[in-house]
Amino acid sequence: MTATTADATTFRPPRTGSIQRPSARVLMGLALGLPVAVFLAAFLFVPAFSLTIDGFLTQDQQGHLRAPVTLAHYAHFFGTALYSHVLFVTLRVSLLTALFAAVLGYPVALVMVRSHPAAARAVAFITIAPLVVSVVVRTYGWQLILANGPTGLLNWVLLSAGLIDTPLRLLYSETAVVIGSLHVFLPMMVLPLASALAKIDPHLEEAASTLGMPAWRVFTRVTLPLSLTGLAAGFTLVFSLTAGSFVTPAILGGTNAQTLGVLIDQQITAVYDWPFGATIATVLVVIVVGVNLLSMRLLGEGRRFGMAA
Amino acid sequence: MSQRLTGGMAWLLYPVTAAAMLFVLAPLAVVMAMSVSTSAFATFPPRGFTLSWYAGVLADPDFLASLWFSTALAAAATAGALLLGVPAAFALARHAPPGAQGLRLVLLSPLIFPVLVVGVALLRLFSDWNWSYAPVNLFIGHVLVTTPYVVRTVTASLLLADTTLEDAARTLGAGRWRVFRRVTLPQIAPGAAAGTLFAFMVSFDNYPISMWLADARNVPVPMLIYRQIASVFTPAVPAASTLLIVFAFAVVLIMERLAGLRRAMAL
Repeated sequence: MTATTADATTFRPPRTGSIQRPSARVLMGLALGLPVAVFLAAFLFVPAFSLTIDGFLTQDQQGHLRAPVTLAHYAHFFGTALYSHVLFVTLRVSLLTALFAAVLGYPVALVMVRSHPAAARAVAFITIAPLVVSVVVRTYGWQLILANGPTGLLNWVLLSAGLIDTPLRLLYSETAVVIGSLHVFLPMMVLPLASALAKIDPHLEEAASTLGMPAWRVFTRVTLPLSLTGLAAGFTLVFSLTAGSFVTPAILGGTNAQTLGVLIDQQITAVYDWPFGATIATVLVVIVVGVNLLSMRLLGEGRRFGMAA
Repeated sequence: MSQRLTGGMAWLLYPVTAAAMLFVLAPLAVVMAMSVSTSAFATFPPRGFTLSWYAGVLADPDFLASLWFSTALAAAATAGALLLGVPAAFALARHAPPGAQGLRLVLLSPLIFPVLVVGVALLRLFSDWNWSYAPVNLFIGHVLVTTPYVVRTVTASLLLADTTLEDAARTLGAGRWRVFRRVTLPQIAPGAAAGTLFAFMVSFDNYPISMWLADARNVPVPMLIYRQIASVFTPAVPAASTLLIVFAFAVVLIMERLAGLRRAMAL
């Protein structure tokens, strides 16, 4: 603080009196944060708000949006079996993906923070590197693996091994979308989990095992509870990202496993029903924001509980 | 630091992790294997060995145009993200304006907000304003999705940097800018550079923003490949995809060298 004072006086002696120092620091902070705030307001929050409004307007013959204000699009969405099914599929795929990511990601995160440094680095590299490969390319790989018919990789392997007699029909199904989404978003589970696990004080686990707890109880009573924040953060991330994704369900789900993202694209680019597209987008945002708020609330409660205990 | 894995835990965890790594690498390996197959169909097992598909891809004017466009777009978007994100990271890490927690939440909101919806909202805005020049529209969209990554990694690097060194430099008479250039910057450079590379790749790989804002003349690479996947199979697609995989892994190696991967991700 003293250094700041000396510096400020050298450059601007008359204006910055000693009484204003702390607020000058705050003003500087506001000035640094202002450009990005303006940018986000102009290109994210205002357009997203307008999009929400569009879901309550009526589209005329020329494609213009105008009054009357209506709930018809929401009634149409929730009242049509096809669309509620898409909503249901989206929720189920996202939930399953997040669950599988937790089950598969937990061992990976543990190995990442607790094995030999060379092994840990290799695991971190293999986990993170695909994150930088376009989702289109990764999903394409799954399309080749899951392809229906005897020449798809998985079918070819299973047929050659004599495990199946007729090729499986995996592509264009919810299963395919869950597998693809799990691959795309697994790092989003592993990374928050790894940082939560790395923060655990090793003495707690040592104490537990010194006092005679078997390894699996040390895990369920000490490690797992202390990593819940990472698990919740990863779960929320994977769920939100899967619910909002487009490429994976579009390529691997086909028409059998449509999700909200695919439906938005269809309504806007093929049906040209802008207000209905806006309605579905709003439903998607409400789901994602809702899950995140819930998770933040739970994490907040958890922290308070942890402090009290 | 932490306890090592031993005994029963190790016997359980290592095989599961190995299986997970296989799962992670499988689709990439499959794409790479198909790219050298002499067969013009997506059939297993791949037949023969040829590099001719690569020669074809590297001579394809559409692919080269997309590659150039995506690279330029990602470079511009990353520059924009740095201009907006680095000052914001300083505000968060050093100046603590009132409501810093709120600002952090707002800054990182594009990370959880469905990217697809960001694209739809931008499409609506640009058509309202009659902005039809795709490169600028794409630039704005890509700055929007890359800025949070820059903010996050630079903030994390700043919080790790030693502020007493900055105070010492100021006490010894260095000006604000000089302190930044000679004391702060060298400390945050590796982390910030790795985060910048990641932001570049986020833009380079983006599909759900580009799908709304691109036009016929400005096609980013992921869109080109998506279109080719949707039409008939040719091994040119695995070849182009393999080039992208190799490029991505090279970038990740650099990130690893610079700052370590988990720090670069700041997750």
